[in-house]
Amino acid sequence: MNLGFEVDPCAKCEEQLQPYLDRELTDAERAEAEEHLDNCSYCRKRYRFEEELRRFVRQAAVEEMPPALKQKLADLRTPLY
Amino acid sequence: MGETTPEAEPRKLAEEARDRVRFEEEALELADQVYRVARRLVSTREEAEDLMQETYSRAFRAWRSFQPGTNLRAWLLRILTNLNIDRGRRQQRSPDMQPLEEGDYFLYNKLEEAGREPNLEQERVDERLSQDDVVSALSAVPHDFRDVIVLVDIGDFSYADAAQILEIPIGTVMSRLHRGRRILKSQLAEQAVSA
Repeated sequence: MNLGFEVDPCAKCEEQLQPYLDRELTDAERAEAEEHLDNCSYCRKRYRFEEELRRFVRQAAVEEMPPALKQKLADLRTPLY
Repeated sequence: MGETTPEAEPRKLAEEARDRVRFEEEALELADQVYRVARRLVSTREEAEDLMQETYSRAFRAWRSFQPGTNLRAWLLRILTNLNIDRGRRQQRSPDMQPLEEGDYFLYNKLEEAGREPNLEQERVDERLSQDDVVSALSAVPHDFRDVIVLVDIGDFSYADAAQILEIPIGTVMSRLHRGRRILKSQLAEQAVSA
């Protein structure tokens, strides 16, 4: 259906950024986003930045479990008779 | 009535003990992953440790209600998020619902405006932001939004798993994730631009 206006492809690509990186797009949506990214350096740079940012946030936010806590959790197991 | 032979009862008990030990071992193997999520759902390491102990204690008592073959990590995190809510954190102020109009390209655009166009060929995000920046930006995101970001981005759960863990519709997961990441990015933008 012709609505009389075109959807801005970069705005649409921006909307798809999060589900794209979360691997939650359908194959067709993903292919559409990738086709746009192949041809649009504006969006491509922003997607790559977002990907890098996600990786960094994930790394920065991870704190490993203290070994003493691991032992405390193991001690909560039901005793064997 | 043939089931009530003298041997049947001890055998049943032995089978149950074996299943319980297996369950406890599998749950403990996942503790590192569960802790990573727990640590970012609460403010301090002490709170995370308490929450983990309460979670495992409850899980070990309720092990029979876990359905083998389903996602044990999600099951443990469901207990953990419920306990965290029960601890009364919801008495804190509700999420700031002021309009937040920035789009998903906001942080990039903000850096570009400040004359620091991120050029990933030459620089990396970690040269602009420190680990502390990320931790403090994340803790500034209101709880409802942060829970979803932590489950999806740190816990690596799908939208559907996060919906099950938090007992909210998948559409709510998506909208909270969307909004929460924008809040996170606007916090990071302040830190990156002022650095």
